[in-house]
Amino acid sequence: MLFNSLTFVVFFALVVSAYWSIRSWKARKNLLVVASYIFYGAWNPPFAALLFSTTAMDFWLGSRIARAKGRHSRRGWLVASVCMNLSMLGFFKYGNFLLQNFQWLLARIGIVYQPPHLDILLPVGISFYTFHSLSYTLDIYRGVLQPTKSLRDFVLAVSFFPQLVAGPIVRAGDFLPQLVTAPGLRLGQFLWGLLLMTLGLFEKIVLADTMLSGSADRIFDYAGPLVALDSWLGVMAFAGQIFFDFAGYSICAIGAALCLGFHLKDNFRFPYAAVGFSDFWRRWHISLSTFLRDYLYIPLGGNQVRPVRAAINLVIVMFLGGLWHGAAWTFVVWGLLHGSYLVIERVIRVLFENKAWANNLATRVLAGVATYTAVCIAWVFFRASDFTVASRMLRGMFGGHAQGDAILTTREMLQIGIVTAFMILVHWSLRESNIETAVTRLPRWAVTAAWALMASAIVLTQGNSNAFIYFQF
Amino acid sequence: MRSSTSNFKRKLRLPRLFFAKPSEIVHRDYERPIPQLPWRGITVVVVLSVIAATFSWEFYCRSIGYGPTLNDNEDLWTTTRRRVKPESVVIVGDSRAWFDLDLDELQKGLGKRPVQLAMGGSCAYPVLADLANDENFHGTIICSVVPRLFVAPPGTPPMERAEKAVRRSHTQTLAQRASQYLAMPLEEHVAFLKQEELTLDELLKRLPIPNRPGALVPPRLPPYFGTLDRERRARMIEECARPGKLQSTIQQIWLPLFTPPPPPTYIPKDEFAKEMGKAIEQRFHDVAAVVQKLRARGGKIVFVRLPHSGGLKALEDRETPRTGIWDRLIKDTGAAGIYYEEHTELAGFTCPEWSHLSAGDSVEFSKRLVPHLRKALRL
Repeated sequence: MLFNSLTFVVFFALVVSAYWSIRSWKARKNLLVVASYIFYGAWNPPFAALLFSTTAMDFWLGSRIARAKGRHSRRGWLVASVCMNLSMLGFFKYGNFLLQNFQWLLARIGIVYQPPHLDILLPVGISFYTFHSLSYTLDIYRGVLQPTKSLRDFVLAVSFFPQLVAGPIVRAGDFLPQLVTAPGLRLGQFLWGLLLMTLGLFEKIVLADTMLSGSADRIFDYAGPLVALDSWLGVMAFAGQIFFDFAGYSICAIGAALCLGFHLKDNFRFPYAAVGFSDFWRRWHISLSTFLRDYLYIPLGGNQVRPVRAAINLVIVMFLGGLWHGAAWTFVVWGLLHGSYLVIERVIRVLFENKAWANNLATRVLAGVATYTAVCIAWVFFRASDFTVASRMLRGMFGGHAQGDAILTTREMLQIGIVTAFMILVHWSLRESNIETAVTRLPRWAVTAAWALMASAIVLTQGNSNAFIYFQF
Repeated sequence: MRSSTSNFKRKLRLPRLFFAKPSEIVHRDYERPIPQLPWRGITVVVVLSVIAATFSWEFYCRSIGYGPTLNDNEDLWTTTRRRVKPESVVIVGDSRAWFDLDLDELQKGLGKRPVQLAMGGSCAYPVLADLANDENFHGTIICSVVPRLFVAPPGTPPMERAEKAVRRSHTQTLAQRASQYLAMPLEEHVAFLKQEELTLDELLKRLPIPNRPGALVPPRLPPYFGTLDRERRARMIEECARPGKLQSTIQQIWLPLFTPPPPPTYIPKDEFAKEMGKAIEQRFHDVAAVVQKLRARGGKIVFVRLPHSGGLKALEDRETPRTGIWDRLIKDTGAAGIYYEEHTELAGFTCPEWSHLSAGDSVEFSKRLVPHLRKALRL
């Protein structure tokens, strides 16, 4: 079920009305479990059974880890949980990818092997809910979380519909404590949740799908050579599209959760105002970057190891981060590029950290522009369907097609320019702040007008747009 | 003394991957800040403003001639596709089949109410292939042929439109199905819910902004001139059936839309023509295979060339003459064909906007078409 669909509007209205009409906290939680499974099953009912079985398994494994006496035993149960979750992810998401690469490797040594094509349907949101569930057993093992005694509560923590299919990746440790006592209905919180949902839908439907996606698609799908201006505008359109698409979904999720009395953390913090790549990853898909930091980078040694080892760790983490997004080498290159950016940034910091000019405004602005540019270059690999498209785009961007085609219409160029400029302006003006502070500072009439305009624009676009990009991950 | 296994693990460092103690305890009692504003008052003003803006927009759309109609999207098509029974009479093809074939008259004449699976601006082939691959289907297909659409190569909008609908019919989720059922009553009553024209995206496209030379500007599509019902039967609105601005605007839109686009700049002209030729040959081959497959199960098919007039007819006759695609199609498939110009009782109709019959004429045309269909299908 998509947030930007009529079915969700009706579903959400019914769930919210029923939820706040019921007095019993247990009954409310039961309602949310049923609603979450309907939300998920409305896409493909059999996969709801898969979701439940992995959740139930992790619930049981979590209790085994907590009860296990010896270190080896605890570790054994954790390994079982990690293997179960990652093998599920591996089969559904990477099955065909692994087979194709195996076939390619055999062909290199002269063995012709035709693997059977596995007609595997990717369960929507599997990358997200696997991490929701995995965080539970990992945190119990790490001693930062007590296992819950309620299977229902854990099922709800993993499947809570606002964040189920496209994040944010909400750790069980952050959600389970909210299931202990019933939240009260607070009008301000509820209406603020609705405003956030409107903002999220506006970002998705109006900014991502209406203003940017058409141009990005036209540029990336164009089979001929493109001039530099069109190539850059196409990449900038995609940079804006993916931000508004994913950040829009996350804001919708946060808003929907607030309407039900739950608090989810920010998943984006004005990322295109990042100065440097470590700053970018503190602002972009925060729930994934902190997940990888806490469960992968720090256990690998984090910053407490020799610089060369830390650099290798960074690249490993970003490689896996890239692969998490999709079973294709283009995603891997995207991850590796970001890994290299982070390593280069560390080297630069070591070399110039103590220089007076390193922290002045002009340097910071230049570093911000360089960060945005490098992030855009990496997006080429994220968006391109294969390396042929990626190399054609890069050649275009760096002047390799001086006689190439200029296909974008003036309207499309204006849309990309205006939306991108507006986005970057907002990000820079709020980079040290947050949306709540910004709204509090605005005059009431401005908040009212902005909300009304966003809602009217959603009505005008008729809410009919594409699925969220991150659903495929 | 450490065991060799421990040393190996230490060297490999793998076990530390998940097992290291956390550097810090995660903050557990997170609560989002809520801006302290008079939310009740703000919400009331927002709701009233949005309601006022929506009603104003609806009145404006109606005042400039728009009326409520269903949107022809892949979900409506899927809803209709689900009605196909093993022995159904199914109409496939393009928008001429929508406007020109009256389901009531065909039901009277053929004994079964046809299922309307034609799609505006689409190629018939993906739907024909879908029906041929449906092992349960052994009914009758009435296929409208507009040559340029019928031989549209893969990757072009006519093919993608049909493929998208067919794909949706196989993959439609319960949520998408529910959304379609919720959308239909709204679309039947609200004029601005016309996705092809009145969305923000389409309104922005109409801004009169000059373009650079070489910019790929998609051809303009005709404005609203018909309504679609739940059976996907289209009827031309009165304003379009009468001579006037709407009619002449649409006439002038068809001409560039039906004119072959220039080859892409990055492919040599000869090579492009060769590729197009190959794609058309492949289409003939594929359609013949599909027809054979259908017939092997006892299915029947008749190809129909429906009326078109004026400048559009002159253009189609010049670019896609009958001796080209139509004759070849009938010869290769061995199927029956009804070319409206061959029959005086079918040839006398005039399409007001050059491509489709008016609502009234479509009933009469369908009545006159029935005997030809019965003969072609040996009923």
